Amino acid sequence: MFIEQLFNGLVLGSIYSLIALGYTLVYGILMMINFAHSEVLMVGAFVGLAAYTLLAPPAGGWVALVLVLLVAMTASGLLGIVIEKLAYRPLRQAARLAPLISAIGVSIILSNAVFLWVSNQLLSFPKVVPEQSISLGFMKIGSLQILIFFTSLILMAVLHFMVQKTKMGKAMRACADDLTTSGLMGIDVNKVIAFTFLIGGALAGAAGVLNGMYYGSIKYNLGFLPGVKAFTAAVLGGIGNIAGAVLGGFLLGILEVMAAGYLPNGSQWKDVFAFVVLIGVLLIRPSGILGERIAEKI
Amino acid sequence: MNFFNSQLSTLNPQLPKWLPLGLLLAVLLIFPIIIEGTSYAYLSRMAGLVGLYALLALGLNFTLGYVGLFDLGYIAFYAIGAYTAAILSINGYSFLASTFAAIVVSVFVRLLVGVTILRLRGDYLAIVTMGFGEITRIVFNNWDSLTNGPKGLPSVGESIRPVKILGMTLVTNTHYYYLIAASVILTILVSQRLENSRLGRAWVAIREDEVAAELTGLAVARLKLGAFVISAVFAGLAGSIFAHWERFVTPESFVFWESILLISMIVTGGMGSIRGVILGAVLLGGVPQLLQAALVGSRFIDYRYFFFGLVLVLAVLFRPQGLWPSKRRQVEILETEYVN
Amino acid sequence: MSTNPLLNITALSQSFGGLKALDSVTMAISPGEIVSLIGPNGAGKTTLFNVLTGVYKGTSGQIRFQERPIRGLAPHQIVPLGMARTFQNIRLFTNMTALENAMVGRHTQSKNDLLWSLLRNKTFYRQETEIEIEAKKCLATVGILTSANLIARNLSYGDQRRLEIARALATKPKLLILDEPSAGMNPRESQKLMELIRHLKNQGLTILLIEHHMRLVMGISDRIIVLDHGVKIAEGTPQEVAHNTKVIEAYLGKNAAH
Repeated sequence: MFIEQLFNGLVLGSIYSLIALGYTLVYGILMMINFAHSEVLMVGAFVGLAAYTLLAPPAGGWVALVLVLLVAMTASGLLGIVIEKLAYRPLRQAARLAPLISAIGVSIILSNAVFLWVSNQLLSFPKVVPEQSISLGFMKIGSLQILIFFTSLILMAVLHFMVQKTKMGKAMRACADDLTTSGLMGIDVNKVIAFTFLIGGALAGAAGVLNGMYYGSIKYNLGFLPGVKAFTAAVLGGIGNIAGAVLGGFLLGILEVMAAGYLPNGSQWKDVFAFVVLIGVLLIRPSGILGERIAEKI
Repeated sequence: MNFFNSQLSTLNPQLPKWLPLGLLLAVLLIFPIIIEGTSYAYLSRMAGLVGLYALLALGLNFTLGYVGLFDLGYIAFYAIGAYTAAILSINGYSFLASTFAAIVVSVFVRLLVGVTILRLRGDYLAIVTMGFGEITRIVFNNWDSLTNGPKGLPSVGESIRPVKILGMTLVTNTHYYYLIAASVILTILVSQRLENSRLGRAWVAIREDEVAAELTGLAVARLKLGAFVISAVFAGLAGSIFAHWERFVTPESFVFWESILLISMIVTGGMGSIRGVILGAVLLGGVPQLLQAALVGSRFIDYRYFFFGLVLVLAVLFRPQGLWPSKRRQVEILETEYVN
Repeated sequence: MSTNPLLNITALSQSFGGLKALDSVTMAISPGEIVSLIGPNGAGKTTLFNVLTGVYKGTSGQIRFQERPIRGLAPHQIVPLGMARTFQNIRLFTNMTALENAMVGRHTQSKNDLLWSLLRNKTFYRQETEIEIEAKKCLATVGILTSANLIARNLSYGDQRRLEIARALATKPKLLILDEPSAGMNPRESQKLMELIRHLKNQGLTILLIEHHMRLVMGISDRIIVLDHGVKIAEGTPQEVAHNTKVIEAYLGKNAAH
């Protein structure tokens, strides 16, 4: 029982981690909360559903899953780039709260655009790959959960490779370290930022599809809650820190599942529990678990 | 030297500067009476709601606007004020008593929260205040014995009694409009007086550069806490008025979105600008309602939030400093007087 | 005239992790002196300023200001004792007017006024007028009174540096600490700055400054203290320091000294 719960927590946490990575990548470079990230996730889920409807019958099964993920990731990634270019880039020099408000506006626009022109109903989201229960002797788990968990892990591994081993990844790390100096050193800062939004958006798109499969349904306003949770996870781990986002995501997922399972009236109080833990951690480590305290140079 | 003691110099011409403002105030004062009984009477209620937003936004302006503290959980203190007032009113306490209690409880909780979390910076503070806001809402939602849970207060068989003040019982929306208008005016006065004082300058200095402020001798932590706590006064007041006006409170009214809306009002209007914040409250709090009323039955009614988002983005793209930012105070300079 | 030093630093150290940014620095400054702190980049000059003004707490050693131990006090506790500073990278309250910047400097010299400001009584107006007059005097001293109503970020670079000094002066310091005041100034501006610093000295201020501009340092300093790698390597009049082998080594490398 406990191990099953733990695994459930890891599955939920892997979705949070994917989303949290998008927040943390953008934050690492621009120091802004990309409030519209959660709606990028929602759009990804809808695009994924559309792709499934069009592609699944001819393709079927695993191929369909890969196609759905790729289409959703591409769409969300591009959406991320467009949002950055139109709504954030003009405000890069403005006061800190201006881009946040712009992001809130974009988020309202996106969810209402879907509400107006796609659907205002709760749509059921297919499992894509037929589900079966797998018994490992000491525990029983669903194939869907395994699929979500490992898809997330693969995506995180790809991200890790990209950030650590590619030239663009190196440029991203340089920009996260010092945006101005990176620009002076000849790094095309705009390109790096656009790329960051592409990656973050793509991860959100994948998370949107996985989240849809996990809950079995999607709606125009579904992005908000996982968005807030994932942002919490990113801060818990230390925002701006990639490993921190993953750690925070898994931690939050496990905490939530455990609180719902083991506390009295747990499902009512699980969010309170998550936030209390967050506040507690930040009071002890003001920059999150893995975040570095950045001393201001005077 | 005596010459200077007699005045605080200003450069602004004294001519009919008060005129547009005076006219506006006159209109705001009498329009509810004129429209009462007509089919436009709903405007009084709407204006009252906008007034509550203005009250809250001006309250949050103390922390977000002046000091630049990124507070995403302000609505929690509105909730605390509303629930405190509702519970006391149900138990027979007068409007003044329950409002006083609502303010005291909001301020007290705000003080406790502030002492604990204000050492956090920037976005960490944001997420923690958001967390606190959500915790508060969920607690009100789940603590059935005190708050009647999601069904809200009052429970069946109880009631929140209307406001009795100065021998009058406030019943209609127009009555509450005046109560709210008076509160807003009071809040504006307090804001103005604090803004143009040693304290207000210190707050803005912290917003502009916290390190330089501390090294200019400002006790930054205490000043922040002061602004944080003062802002709770207005949340408590607004909460009590809201509870007495609606005579009904549910956790639904205090969702995260409301905090976001208040922040948007302040930033689109102009951080730390009293007139800007009020403009923001009117635009973001009033216009969507007005559109809703105007578009009832039309298929365009669903578009209002879409356009709300669009307006938010465009406003901040074209006026990142706010639609109506504050003007810094200008003084008269007599060069020869100070050369030493 | 008292011979007690205004500022007395004994064996002051500051470490960050394994790095010793200041290593047992001892120095004293007498009232009315202009003392320059020089040294190569990374010598620990700004770190010393940061420990003096309470930004860092110091790892060991003692700082006495007017006989009073101040190491470990918070910046806002140190300022009212009579120590004020400027910053290497200008740090103004950029969206406030020049005058308001200086008025904020008067904060420690005035009283808590929450109630007065709400009531707008006589005391409030008296204090506000006094704050304004004193702030204007400080602007006049540094020569930017005519810009009083300008938003700080719109001032010229040199005037922004002057405004920082004015804001520091408004706190009524006995010791004024200037961190590279002439950085980014053209020769004419730094000439005027030198005159200003002399003028402040004549008004009775004690001044400690970090400066890279050697002509300025040699021209106005009563004494120069040289730091290198967190250690004080020399101290003396401009003449003495200019001919000190250790100093030349520190700046130009070992070979140049011989």
